Amino acid sequence: MSEGKNKTIKLLKANIYYIFIVIILCVLPLFVRNPYYAHIFIMFFSYAFLAMAWNIIGGYGGQLSLGHSIFYGLGAYTSTLLFVHFDLSPWLGMLVGGILAISISVAIGYPCFRLHGPFFAMSTLAVCEVFRILTVYFSDLTEGSIGISIPIRFGLKNMIFEHKITYLYIIIGFFSLAVLVSKLIEKSKFGYQLIALREDEDAAESSGVDVTRTKLKAIMISAFLTAMAGSFHAQYALYIDPSGEFSILLSVLMAVMAILGGVGTVFGPILGAALLVPLQEILRGQLGGQLHGLHLFIYGVLVIIVVMFLPHGIFEWLKGWILPWLNKLQILTPEMPEGERAREDLVAWGRAARDMSHEDEVILRTRDLWKSFGGLVAIRNLDVDIRRGEIIGLIGPNGAGKTTLFDLISGIIKPDSGVVEYNGSNITGIRPAHKLCHRGIGRTFQIVKPFGNITVLKNVMVGAFAREGAEEKAREEALEVLDFVGLYPKKDNLAKSLTIGDRKRVELARALATRPKLLLLDETMAGLNPKEIGEALVLIQKIREHGITVILIEHVMHAIMNLSDRVIIMHHGEKIAEGTPREVASDERVIKAYLGEEYVVI
Amino acid sequence: MLEIILQVAINGLLLGGIYALVAIGLTLIFGVVRVINFAQGEFLMIGMYAAFWLSHLLGIDPYFSFLIITPLLFLVGIMMQKVIIKPLLNAPSLALIFATFGLSIALQNGALLLWKADHRAIQTSYSNSVLLLGNLIISVPRLVIFAVAVAIVIGLFLFLQRTYWGKAMTAVAQDREAAMLMGVDIHKVYMLAFGLGIGLEALAGVLLMPVYSAYPTIGFQFCIIAFVIVVLGGMGNIFGAFLGGLIIGLVEAFSGFFISPQLQAALYYVIFVIVLVIRPQGLLGMVGAQEMGFK
Amino acid sequence: MSLFEMEGIEIFYEDVQILWEVSLRVEEGEITSVVGGNGAGKSTILNTISGLTSCRLGSMRFLGETIDTLPPHERVALGLVQIPEGRRLFPYMTVLGNLEIGCFNARAREKKEESLEKVFALFPLLEERKSQLARTLSGGEQQMLAVGRGMMSQPKLLMMDEPSLGLAPIVVKMIFETVRSINSQGVTVLLVEQNVRQCLDLSNRGYVLENGRIVLQGTGQELLKNEHLRKAYLGL
Repeated sequence: MSEGKNKTIKLLKANIYYIFIVIILCVLPLFVRNPYYAHIFIMFFSYAFLAMAWNIIGGYGGQLSLGHSIFYGLGAYTSTLLFVHFDLSPWLGMLVGGILAISISVAIGYPCFRLHGPFFAMSTLAVCEVFRILTVYFSDLTEGSIGISIPIRFGLKNMIFEHKITYLYIIIGFFSLAVLVSKLIEKSKFGYQLIALREDEDAAESSGVDVTRTKLKAIMISAFLTAMAGSFHAQYALYIDPSGEFSILLSVLMAVMAILGGVGTVFGPILGAALLVPLQEILRGQLGGQLHGLHLFIYGVLVIIVVMFLPHGIFEWLKGWILPWLNKLQILTPEMPEGERAREDLVAWGRAARDMSHEDEVILRTRDLWKSFGGLVAIRNLDVDIRRGEIIGLIGPNGAGKTTLFDLISGIIKPDSGVVEYNGSNITGIRPAHKLCHRGIGRTFQIVKPFGNITVLKNVMVGAFAREGAEEKAREEALEVLDFVGLYPKKDNLAKSLTIGDRKRVELARALATRPKLLLLDETMAGLNPKEIGEALVLIQKIREHGITVILIEHVMHAIMNLSDRVIIMHHGEKIAEGTPREVASDERVIKAYLGEEYVVI
Repeated sequence: MLEIILQVAINGLLLGGIYALVAIGLTLIFGVVRVINFAQGEFLMIGMYAAFWLSHLLGIDPYFSFLIITPLLFLVGIMMQKVIIKPLLNAPSLALIFATFGLSIALQNGALLLWKADHRAIQTSYSNSVLLLGNLIISVPRLVIFAVAVAIVIGLFLFLQRTYWGKAMTAVAQDREAAMLMGVDIHKVYMLAFGLGIGLEALAGVLLMPVYSAYPTIGFQFCIIAFVIVVLGGMGNIFGAFLGGLIIGLVEAFSGFFISPQLQAALYYVIFVIVLVIRPQGLLGMVGAQEMGFK
Repeated sequence: MSLFEMEGIEIFYEDVQILWEVSLRVEEGEITSVVGGNGAGKSTILNTISGLTSCRLGSMRFLGETIDTLPPHERVALGLVQIPEGRRLFPYMTVLGNLEIGCFNARAREKKEESLEKVFALFPLLEERKSQLARTLSGGEQQMLAVGRGMMSQPKLLMMDEPSLGLAPIVVKMIFETVRSINSQGVTVLLVEQNVRQCLDLSNRGYVLENGRIVLQGTGQELLKNEHLRKAYLGL
């Protein structure tokens, strides 16, 4: 029993600050006597809630939505209409609205997620406007632009209260829910995958992330929460109308608050709301409506300044100088992630032997593979056989089709014709890449794509999540892989701060964490100095010893010639030679391809 | 019946001319600098207010005051490029989106602060003049806008094809690095593009005054339409912007007439989303679409 | 004094080191080559000279003057002209349009008519096709246009990045003959190539680049006979 007690005490100690804040939040409303201040707090918590809801798809997911009011309005109108016409409790109406919002979010997300950046933003804005216009148009149902006034019938069931304090408690509850959801997401496989796709969609896809599904999940959660806020607001303001509920300004503010504060964090959006609400209330309220728009003007200028000088948001900037100060005063202790074992405890990666006796000898085979882009033939009539456990060097002049071959195998593009067989199964044309990742094909990219804004450890954890579901397991696996590649000391560094050699190692580690059987390495050694190249050679051999088949595209000739069991030379999309490095280097066709026609061999 | 359709068509075309004029600045900036200026509409609004105040305070007719306003806003455009855009060109693309967005919010609300939300209108002698073509009515100020739109499209075309700086701009739009290797001063070209884009937008605003009234958010509303047009016609393509404008104008006129005025706006938003999803390069464009991340 | 000198150049792309202590000279009136395999860093050298890439260490001098801080368009104005890899023509402009952009800088603009005549004399095909859009030309024709465009800038040093890339052998031969011809008219040429044999054959001097380092230098003939050259390319 004392074990359990100890654990509880530990848990309490670790979360002491959260507990502190929760207590404050519970007690706060009791001190707010003045209804005006109650209103300001309600506004603050509402906006913070909305910003956090937006942050799930916009911040963590990196999809800039400027039409989130769709969900807000859907929530407001659904619960209101159900309440006014059918006397359905807004608590239930809120759920119905949330579900409706989820459906609409999928309907919008599915086609629009293929758009990027400003185009996705514009399309969400357009869709929101369409909803607003339709709401006005179908006035039989919605009372159009006149809006709906909600009859004042007090009671918990009706979510209508005489005293603002009650509303305040409710919105604080919502706020806490949003904080909880955000925190849970950050620690979950879903969250890691979401952040990964924000950083680099292709790399995420190849590391086993189902990008489309993950984005949809994120927008669904975001939509539900936003709709909740809409319903709450309806019952608070007791009046809704199309331009208030489907408001472009609100959509924009949700995004701007998160960005000002710092996207992709839990507290950033809260900070953004904390900036907006006082500005709004003081400037708008106090100055008696004289200076319309001043608060937004200031806000607009703030956005420009923050974007230019504090690109990660105000929260990160504050953290930068508050944290060291707090550390000095010994108030905060550095966060120790749960369950992280000391280095000595790590099991050497991959030692769990794999029984491969029943697996085929040929792990990868292509037959008569063709791929053209426009009029240009990139791969021509390609037949390749790769045996299990080999290290194959794939070389050839620029434009020979090597990376295209990798793309065809790893599910990034589809061949025009021909067959690709992996492990005995036909995988021709299977896409997107995460499916191939799950089958055991891992890859790195020519232009290295680490997830720059997260730590090395988290980068590799994304790979581990292709096989594991729980954060602890993924972390363990990731640490072992990092140890294997020699990056353990730098596990807490941000990936973008590493040297090129280390970034390539992160990418490699990430691919290894997906437990591939076939590993495709694209120009891993480009840009490395001789010492690093030596280390890479050793590492690749160790990888092979773990039973992984490796295909390498390289230009660092002496490296690949010394490393490979066999070498395949491609030129103009065709295989022009194949054999041991020695055989190939004296092959005339190869010499011609590289050194030009008429080169005389001495 | 035929007459009614013709009248609607004429209204649509004239409206299209207005929209085209508004969209040209946006597409020019995108085509050359590869930046989507979310604040573009605000410069339309500023042009309108400038024309209003010059008329209201000094009695200068918009058809003259554009001579002052356009060059002034041309300079403002250059400043904007230097101060806001240039430092952010190498930052992640979200930064530019938010910077221009922030500018848009700041300008809109700055106008709100300074001039309040009241609609400001000018009454000129020709505000209500019409030409009669049989039984068909053609509004003169709108015709002027249409004519100017055509003139600007032709003028820009000639500028881009025949002058050194115009050719330089075209080159930069087609291949930025190659242009640099040819000795083109990239930043000067960007400044020129911004100057022209903003100046033309302000010109559009001035010409709109006899027809529309000015209020702080009018720029934003036209801007959304401008986006639809630019995407429809093909980003970076001047002719595309003109064609797109005409199409949207006709769509709006006909849908307003045959379906419902209320649903007009909804229709072109729907077109917008459909075009983006199905054919992002628009009708005529191709330059630049890939760089903005279409797969 | 050499026409162009590069000393101790080290180039980084973010934190990736691409070139290590690269030093080379180009003598006036000569054809100088830099050869090496893929990924060796050849294009990076030219981009550094043109000012598209900046160098962290080292310096460059053209006609005795340091050019490290000059922006790209000013280097072109001085006569440092690059014909980039893959030609990089302006696809939707005509042949004539592309040529005209070539003389954007003021010094070249004065001589536009003269330059056009010279280019058309060198490539009569271009005159025939002058109103055609650049994207409709064949590979070889595009390379001709690219060279012509470079010539329009009145180059003192003409730099060519892998002119033979992606072209059929017959066309490649023609390109190299053109280079010889241009050089005989007095234009100094810096040639960067993968196609070693033909390139070194016509070069006065050459450098071999491997993984960002100069590993061999000498006259064209010396390099062709060198054992280590093959090793540098094929790793054995």
